[in-house]
Amino acid sequence: MADIAQAFQCTRIIVFMAFSDVKARYKRSVLGPLWLTLGTAGGSAGLGFIWSELFHVDATTFVPTLTAGLILWQFISGIITESTVLFSRQASIIRNLNLPLAIHPAQLLLRHLINLAHNAPVFFIVALGLGHPITLTAWLALPGLILLALNLLWLALFIGLVGARFRDIEYLTTMVMPLLMLVSPVFYRPNYLPFSEHIIWFNPFSHFIEIVRYPLLGSPPPIFVVETHLVMLVVGWGVTLWLFNRQHHRVAFWV
Amino acid sequence: MAILKFDKVTVQYPIYNSRSMSLRNQLVRISTGGRIESEAGHIQVVTALNEVSFGLKDGDSVGLIGHNGAGKSTLLRTMAGVYHPISGSVVRQGRVATVLELGAGMDPELSGYENIIRMGILMGLSMAEILSKTKEIEDFTQLGDFLQLPVRTYSSGMATRLMFAVATSTAPDILLVDEVFGTGDAEFQVKAKERMEALIKSVGIFVFASHNHELVRQYCNRVFRLEHGCLLEVDINAI
Repeated sequence: MADIAQAFQCTRIIVFMAFSDVKARYKRSVLGPLWLTLGTAGGSAGLGFIWSELFHVDATTFVPTLTAGLILWQFISGIITESTVLFSRQASIIRNLNLPLAIHPAQLLLRHLINLAHNAPVFFIVALGLGHPITLTAWLALPGLILLALNLLWLALFIGLVGARFRDIEYLTTMVMPLLMLVSPVFYRPNYLPFSEHIIWFNPFSHFIEIVRYPLLGSPPPIFVVETHLVMLVVGWGVTLWLFNRQHHRVAFWV
Repeated sequence: MAILKFDKVTVQYPIYNSRSMSLRNQLVRISTGGRIESEAGHIQVVTALNEVSFGLKDGDSVGLIGHNGAGKSTLLRTMAGVYHPISGSVVRQGRVATVLELGAGMDPELSGYENIIRMGILMGLSMAEILSKTKEIEDFTQLGDFLQLPVRTYSSGMATRLMFAVATSTAPDILLVDEVFGTGDAEFQVKAKERMEALIKSVGIFVFASHNHELVRQYCNRVFRLEHGCLLEVDINAI
């Protein structure tokens, strides 16, 4: 627990490292992080127009839905996939400097929030370009994003701990994430499904996506989505902190 | 005021082979009871430090000697607070800086200057402090224009210079240095010696692991010998 408290005092390190990593990653490219923006724009334009024709749905609602879904999925799956190697990738820091371990998941989250900020304009351009109204309700996406981010933070710490001990988790996650993408409402909305809408709500990723996408598309999220997030926050952080408390001294030996 | 006190410190670490690192074997182990347990779930435990006790205070400069695998690096990491003992207590007061592994905390894609900032931040300095020390680091490393190049282009000696310069410029109370230090050339060794002597004078604890007894005699006033995880203080003139 002291580790977490110390991590709060290291905000400067977290912020610096996140920006420094984004910078290092795009060091020798001309467009840098704008490649993310371009990729998202290209992907949603291509998929959006072909699928809206294929499924005979109205492009004005379908393409913004898909764009928001893709952007949020990149954010969520990016954090989960990378959290499997969260500690082993930072081994050179963990094995040489006495820094709180909790700075690593925070840094990972911040880095993906920076990427998300690069992608978000695509949604607004697509929505406005197609004439889909952006209402004041869209502001509700921000508290939604905060709830989502806090949930992803414990998830990253939890997966990071398990992944540092069991190296299979990395490959397992790489295999499962594309499958999860298909059974999560990325390309569609839960209410598009005629029969299995209630089944898809058993998938936590549906809640992760919809808490932000509902307000973006103009209506507040259903109250049960918010409740699920709150329950996950309490239970998730509880379990993660218990595990972290027991195991964080061992992580330096695992990485 | 630097203090470093170990009381009966025992450090054990697990060696996971590919089998015990694998989740499948853990699951098989649960599902098959004890039958193949010896093969699937076996984790070797190495006792790297065995009831190590000592006390260091300001002005102590310690040379750590011992065979490969005697526990020198583990002891340095335990001193730094990276490894935690399973029993015994460690008392540490003062800011610690480490030069343990080459390239620790550096990003090979970033330039020398950017890495100075990166390592400085990691070691807890503020941006203003780092900028005020950059000139001094430039002078010490004598890397000149190389500091504008990415660190991946550096030789190991150059990287050592940079690491050592940043680590010592943080004005640590406790400086822990592993053997990597030996990769610097003669000129660097001379400058490093000056810097270290100044540092030891300006209160602080210095611990240096090396196989080079000559260097140990130059820098240190106490010598610890590690053998199979047990620590023994020896007379500096006896090595």
